[in-house]
Amino acid sequence: MMDWWLDSLLVLGLLWLAWQAVSAPRVFRSVVMFIVFGLFMSLCWARLAAPDLALAEAAIGAGLTGALLLSAYRALLARHEQRLPEPRVSRPLAGLIAVLCALAFGVLAWVLLTVPGVETPAGREALARMDDLAVDNPVTGVLLVFRAYDTLMELGVLLLALLGARVVAEPLRASGPGPWQRPGLREPVLVAPLLALLVPLIVLMAGYLLWAGTSAPGGAFQAGAVLAALGVLLRLTGRVRPTMNSSFHERALLVLGLAVFTVAGALGFGFEGYMLSYPAGWSYPIILVVESALMLSIALTLALLFSGSGGLRGGE
Amino acid sequence: MNVAAVVAWSLIAVGSGFFLAGTVGLLRFPGVFSRLHALTKADNVGLGLLVLGLAILAGSPWTALKLAVIWALALLAGTVSCHLIARYALREQGGRERAEP
Repeated sequence: MMDWWLDSLLVLGLLWLAWQAVSAPRVFRSVVMFIVFGLFMSLCWARLAAPDLALAEAAIGAGLTGALLLSAYRALLARHEQRLPEPRVSRPLAGLIAVLCALAFGVLAWVLLTVPGVETPAGREALARMDDLAVDNPVTGVLLVFRAYDTLMELGVLLLALLGARVVAEPLRASGPGPWQRPGLREPVLVAPLLALLVPLIVLMAGYLLWAGTSAPGGAFQAGAVLAALGVLLRLTGRVRPTMNSSFHERALLVLGLAVFTVAGALGFGFEGYMLSYPAGWSYPIILVVESALMLSIALTLALLFSGSGGLRGGE
Repeated sequence: MNVAAVVAWSLIAVGSGFFLAGTVGLLRFPGVFSRLHALTKADNVGLGLLVLGLAILAGSPWTALKLAVIWALALLAGTVSCHLIARYALREQGGRERAEP
């Protein structure tokens, strides 16, 4: 009974927040509602017994995307001098689009509901074969073994997203979070102690998530998002500053995940005869190396997306 | 229902009361500073009581330690963000000299 109440509250809250996020009169309110929506979504995943998704949603969906949206909002404000222009879509057109979207959603939902069930769904198949794998966490197994090709492509998409953002990027002063402080004002006293405590904790957390990913919820994406949050924190407090161009090391780190994953997949081609099948007996160390490389690349990509710059440098 | 469970649930109930009071304060109080006061004080104590109750219910020292770490992190983040918001608000209202540091 208690669970039923909790779930209904979550579902109703989710729908209400989604509505608020798209219909709020002011952009700032929409952004805040979107962040809260991400947190609710993460709670829903946790209720559905999908802790991996809950972690990823909280870290990427609510945390990093929220920070990105807030910094985009600030950049918009700076350009339009405190007043955002009205959206240029007329109300009847918006209504028409909404009705068409609802129709498309209804048709898709109807098709999904009436389609006959498969004899052995992929998920059950994967669970049945978990014993053959070197990892115990089914999610990591699916991401890096059964569906490794998809994950490889996702890494490519992430890299393309960063390249796309760089192509349309504006001069540094117009993109990303603005300067940390107004000139002539000292840094608040609490910031340095907070960083001194949080930085080692975040690194520890990312390492744990990566290590635990083979047997418990966690993995490269969650660990990478946590590391990227460290980048956001350092960028926001002015500990690292943006630069227009990326250094050789940063470029190497950006493609590291994709490169290591591809090499690991090619190893399978040489030893087992087809791509992305790890050599027998070596799958655990290979998966660990691939996951570590993925974590570093994901972290730097997300941090640079937030920073809105080509690279990052230490120091004031 | 033994004594420990009664104590734990009372702590959780009192903690939830603090959260409720903090939320009402955030919505109803005038001005940034009184709202921050209501929110952070109530959240710190409320979360502390919740964590204490849950730690008793969990019954394992390891879980209790993890809960305590969560509370400590929330305290840390709450303190610093409250300080930053208050500092910003003070400066916006023209209290530039007093806002240092």
